Amino acid sequence: MRVHRLKSALPLGLALGGALLLGGCGNGEEKADSKTADFARQDAFPSTYIAAESAPVLIRGANLLTGTGEQLDGADILLQDGKIKAVGKGLKAPRKAEVIDAAGKWVTPGIIDVHSHLGDYPAPAIESSQDGNEMTAPNTAQVWAEHSVWTQDPQFPLALAGGVTTLQILPGSANLFGGRGVTLKNVPGRSVQDMKFPGAPYGLKMACGENPKRVYGGKGTLPSTRMGNVAGYRQAWIEASAYKKKWEEFQKNGGDEPDRDLQMETLAGVLNGDILVHNHCYRGEEMAIMMDIANEFGFQVSTFHHAVEAYKVADLLAKNKVCAAMWADWWGFKHEAFDMTEANIAIVDQAKGCAMIHSDSEVGIQRLNEETAKAMVAGQRAGFDIQPKDAVVWMTMNPARALGIEKATGSLEKGKMGDVVIWSGNPFSVYSKAEKVFIDGVMMYDRDDKSRQPHSDFELGILEAEGVRL
Amino acid sequence: MNTTSNNQKNLNRFASRTVRTAMTCLLFALAPFASAESLLIKGGKVISLSDAGTLEQADILIRDGRIEQVAADLGSIPADTVIDAAGKVVAPGFIAPHSELGLTEISAAASTNDNAVAGQSVGAAFDPSVAFNPHSTLIPFNRAGGLTRAIVTPGSQENIFAGQGFAIKLNGAFDSVAKAGLVQRIYLGEYGGSLAGGSRANAFAQLRSALDEAREYAENKAAIRRGEWRDLTHSVADLEALQPLLNGEQMAMIGANRASDILQVLALAKAFNLKLVIEGAAEGWMVSDQLAAAGVPVVIDAMSNSPDAFERLGARMENAALLNKAGVTVAISGPGYGGSHNSYLSRQAAGNAVAFGLPYEEGVRAVSANVAKIFGLKGGVIAPGEVADLVVWSGDPLEVTSYAEAVLIDGKPQSLVTRSTRLRDRYLKPQPGYGHAYKN
Repeated sequence: MRVHRLKSALPLGLALGGALLLGGCGNGEEKADSKTADFARQDAFPSTYIAAESAPVLIRGANLLTGTGEQLDGADILLQDGKIKAVGKGLKAPRKAEVIDAAGKWVTPGIIDVHSHLGDYPAPAIESSQDGNEMTAPNTAQVWAEHSVWTQDPQFPLALAGGVTTLQILPGSANLFGGRGVTLKNVPGRSVQDMKFPGAPYGLKMACGENPKRVYGGKGTLPSTRMGNVAGYRQAWIEASAYKKKWEEFQKNGGDEPDRDLQMETLAGVLNGDILVHNHCYRGEEMAIMMDIANEFGFQVSTFHHAVEAYKVADLLAKNKVCAAMWADWWGFKHEAFDMTEANIAIVDQAKGCAMIHSDSEVGIQRLNEETAKAMVAGQRAGFDIQPKDAVVWMTMNPARALGIEKATGSLEKGKMGDVVIWSGNPFSVYSKAEKVFIDGVMMYDRDDKSRQPHSDFELGILEAEGVRL
Repeated sequence: MNTTSNNQKNLNRFASRTVRTAMTCLLFALAPFASAESLLIKGGKVISLSDAGTLEQADILIRDGRIEQVAADLGSIPADTVIDAAGKVVAPGFIAPHSELGLTEISAAASTNDNAVAGQSVGAAFDPSVAFNPHSTLIPFNRAGGLTRAIVTPGSQENIFAGQGFAIKLNGAFDSVAKAGLVQRIYLGEYGGSLAGGSRANAFAQLRSALDEAREYAENKAAIRRGEWRDLTHSVADLEALQPLLNGEQMAMIGANRASDILQVLALAKAFNLKLVIEGAAEGWMVSDQLAAAGVPVVIDAMSNSPDAFERLGARMENAALLNKAGVTVAISGPGYGGSHNSYLSRQAAGNAVAFGLPYEEGVRAVSANVAKIFGLKGGVIAPGEVADLVVWSGDPLEVTSYAEAVLIDGKPQSLVTRSTRLRDRYLKPQPGYGHAYKN
């Protein structure tokens, strides 16, 4: 699967001729023209993830939150050949199917966290494994988060127990361009390739605001101000545009093959729509500026992350089809996080924006359902009619859109990956737990069966030689 | 300190804004507010945490800041203010067992932080209570989240002695430091080791030697002050500050997580007869019997189940449940990631602890009565004679979908307006133009 996302109504001087279909907010559309260069190098480290064979699973009589805005009570869902085969009432169990009586349980799509550092900032947090921030230059678009992932991070199985089936691992936010993010299936792997979500587009981590200017201002180099940040972005896009043009001319006219440049490849991959921009950006003013930069250079911002002030520019986000990934209630740790309102997600949603929860935390990622619940109630208290069937989209379908994988997962729809969670009760309760978690139709976690609970290598013999960590 | 005017201010604030916005869904009978000396909360489910247990439906009469009566039905007993709490849940106001409330505004903005000192020789003598800012934006926000009191503690990046913690009320009044010099905050374990030259052993040694020296100081004060004594490692100010700790008048809040560290802390506290509360205790469940036998309470982050440090490899969600089962008094703080700004999320942490086996009432107790008990504070219980720090919740107070509809401190209804609600109301429907700037 390849998803190309380009912006409508762009000055398309830089885009490759031909008709472009509207993309945006992850609502990826296939580009009509043929590609030029493979700047994204999509297959340099190809996914080796293979879902195990599994018998069909029929989950019966649950309350389904579909991720498409519906709640189906007392309904069934059938997983077969790794996919969602059917959703509805009174489904028949195929031969050899495992039938799960889920009366009183709730079922949601697998949770998707668009912002995680698991593996790059693993547990235990010790200096030798802090591999998430290449804080040596303001533009490190050449680094790829997947190359830092320690697959034995014990936080992956904890996130799985919280119902997370897909997550994007991003570089940190010290740099204007932090590097590439990678989308993983939350499955155990000996290599990061074993975890890579097949076909998912790459992300490019960018950062606004305080972090880059603090890190590099502290070193006496550009940027030390927000205006320095913006100059840094624009200069890089100018260079990337030139790089892209050089390769396009080579492909068209031949001649000497230009030198490859890893940093420029990632940026050019954004410019041709293959790589999605995930932009750490708190303030409304900065989001507005970043969207203008995207217009100037002809690319689309997929998502603003940590968008504490998204509510202030919710209409602009909706107009530009840019998603916002937010916390329920984090605030005050930085000045740019001071203007927090708990209704943030709800206001962006009500303005017809693509709103979602995200964690950026090994604690939060285990409880995105609780975080979503708080944001839902804040929306209700603001006077909006937001129900579980709506709020579930914030932790499933909208993050799928942000990652460009919405055609593959994110909702309980026929033909999608069998990424499904059975909850002990309404997922928007502090007392509910993910009981069974399926990825591609395979039960990867069962709270009631210790043999179906993965443990990383790290956890073996760590407190007692013969035990697991607990 | 003019308490009356502060109270009046609170009432004005309450009447002018709260009723209009944040509390529109609460059924308040706004009887004359002028002399809100008596207040009746009618018909709520009352989690009393007293011998009376949980009352499915009860009335609470409050007079002059105290709870006067709690009964199934007080009828139409006259009261200046009546809160209809039918279908609601009334619980003691929650108490944060450690926080930096009033000592920080923006964590990354140094000028707004008074919780720690660098490059100074002060340790145990550091008393940040004089820096407490009752007008911090964190106060109304956490109060709207159901916190009525808190322990505020200093931190340190240089000294295993961070300084002295104090207790506050969250009513925003200038006199809301309830008790200063309540605890000595001390770091042992991994962090203590990093502050003590790289080994937790030296952190223990530093604590022992400071306490030894404080005793020596107490016994030879006159000679020391005359300068007729050996050179001491610690300043006179620090040694003076350690006296209440040695006398058992002040608690030692000692940070430790690894099971073996906790046992060492217990031994050290016993040797010096310290009144001890252990903060962290991620592996407390492994030594819960020893903690119970020593009668030492713990303050835990009940949502910290990641082995995010080698001293927390045994971290698990059942920590609170196992400690409680063994008979340890457990207080639950807000989750570490939330920091002081979200101290009120202790209730979510307690809900998670309940989801992992802590009995429900113990979960409520861990964020209220147990904190009061550990630190000797008022509040935490709904019973006649107790201070009227109460919260009326839309539902189960540990549930993430519930919210505070009324917060009373000393019997006074508090404003539930925060910067967060103000910003929300300003930008409910964001649109082009400058209209937002004219919305208050």
